[in-house]
Amino acid sequence: MNEFLSFAVTYLPYLLKGALVTIEIAVVGVIFGSILGIFVGLGRVSKNPLLSQISRFYIWVIRGTPLLLHLFIIHFAIPSVFPSLTMPPFVSACIALSINAAAYIAEIARGAIQSIDKGQMEAARSLGLSSRQAMRRVIIPQAFRRMLPPLGNEFIALIKESSLVSTIALYDLLRTGQQIISSTYRYMEVFFLVGIIYLFLTTIMSFVVRKIENKVGAYE
Amino acid sequence: MISCENVVKSFNRLEVLKGIDLDVSAGEVVVMIGPSGSGKSTFLRCMNHLETPDSGTITINGSVVEPKESSLNKLRQDIGMVFQQFNLFPHMTVMENIIEAPVLLKKMTKDQAKKKAMELLKKVGLSEKADEYPNRLSGGQKQRVAIARALAMEPKVMLFDEPTSALDPELVGEVLAVMKQLAKEGMTMVVVTHEMGFAKDVADRVLFMDGGVIVEAGSPEDIFEHPKNERTKEFLGHLK
Ligand SMILES: Nc1ncnc2c1ncn2[C@@H]1O[C@H](COP(=O)(O)OP(=O)(O)OP(=O)(O)O)[C@@H](O)[C@H]1O
Ligand SMILES: [Mg+2]
Repeated sequence: MNEFLSFAVTYLPYLLKGALVTIEIAVVGVIFGSILGIFVGLGRVSKNPLLSQISRFYIWVIRGTPLLLHLFIIHFAIPSVFPSLTMPPFVSACIALSINAAAYIAEIARGAIQSIDKGQMEAARSLGLSSRQAMRRVIIPQAFRRMLPPLGNEFIALIKESSLVSTIALYDLLRTGQQIISSTYRYMEVFFLVGIIYLFLTTIMSFVVRKIENKVGAYE
Repeated sequence: MISCENVVKSFNRLEVLKGIDLDVSAGEVVVMIGPSGSGKSTFLRCMNHLETPDSGTITINGSVVEPKESSLNKLRQDIGMVFQQFNLFPHMTVMENIIEAPVLLKKMTKDQAKKKAMELLKKVGLSEKADEYPNRLSGGQKQRVAIARALAMEPKVMLFDEPTSALDPELVGEVLAVMKQLAKEGMTMVVVTHEMGFAKDVADRVLFMDGGVIVEAGSPEDIFEHPKNERTKEFLGHLK
């Protein structure tokens, strides 16, 4: 036990550095994924058939293929054809994660927009607001609040799924663990520590999500 | 003020309005009654084009309403609407609910709009609720805020679709009182309601709708005391 503790103390700083990378790409993924996702989600509920078809197609393709494939396409396939698009692993990871998250967040946004009572749009229109003004001032602010809990869950999912970036040589939490193993051969201890850190991150986030849920519920 | 001519509206194959004519003059209070599904709400919603009529014309103040987004937005500013379910914006305070449209559409400054809103809140008896969120209000209070919100656009006509049907019985009176006051001040109103007392007190005309047509129209006394049409008689029988 003592021996394990001193091992943990030695390598924890490295693992935490990896965890920071994991958090960074998950945060970037959820932020850019939200921005892109809200637009795709708006397109999905748009009356314009072209916009809604494009959004539908995007969601269909991204959700129907694995994240690992997106990662490989962005990091290996595209640069193999266009060498100028070669990017550091961190950038590729952020792009892939954002694109991937956007498809899921688009569905979250669509669900949230459609969950707003029809009477809200009608009341806004009856006052003379255009449909764009009604969306912006009445529907989206309410939908956004309802999106927060599922967005938090998406962030938790991203923390876990982002471990796939270890395959493109990005030193996130998992890859850092593997690196330590390659010099120490202490599989059990390292993966145990890695697991504890993931669990710590996701548990904190779950707690935050629950807090937000209560807050959102209170005003409705 | 409002004039509807041969308004027809179908949903899928169901013809809900079968050619309705109605003239409402300035200052008049018209009450519409009729069984569920007879098309009262649909007719009201056609007046401000929340539903687009399939045919027929609706004229406001002498100009025909064109089904074009920009002219409809303008039109709706002149027609206030109050809904059965209140439809207050839950993410805005009472004050924000009321000033939203005037600030956005009438180019009022926030201060002007707030001053106006306070007057309206006083009128509906809710001055002290300006900073509350709607979920903290009773049904009757919500509906009075909804009326104030509609009035903030200074509409020429107010449409009410069963404004008291979702309320607990003891809260109906406070909303009707506000509406009566409004009628007394000369507001032009079209009201779908089954509150006979209200109709008898303030209606200039009562319309009985059934099956997508106006079956019978007349003074409250004509309709409630001496209905001529069989269907009207039967319906009033059910109400009692
Ligand atoms: N958006 C819609 N799509 C399809 N059918 C509709 C729609 N709106 C109303 N209807 C139908 O049109 C008919 C008339 O409805 P409407 O709401 O105008 O009746 P109403 O007289 O207001 O009844 P109530 O007293 O129940 O409010 C009903 O049969 C209803 O099911
Ligand atoms: Mg109705």
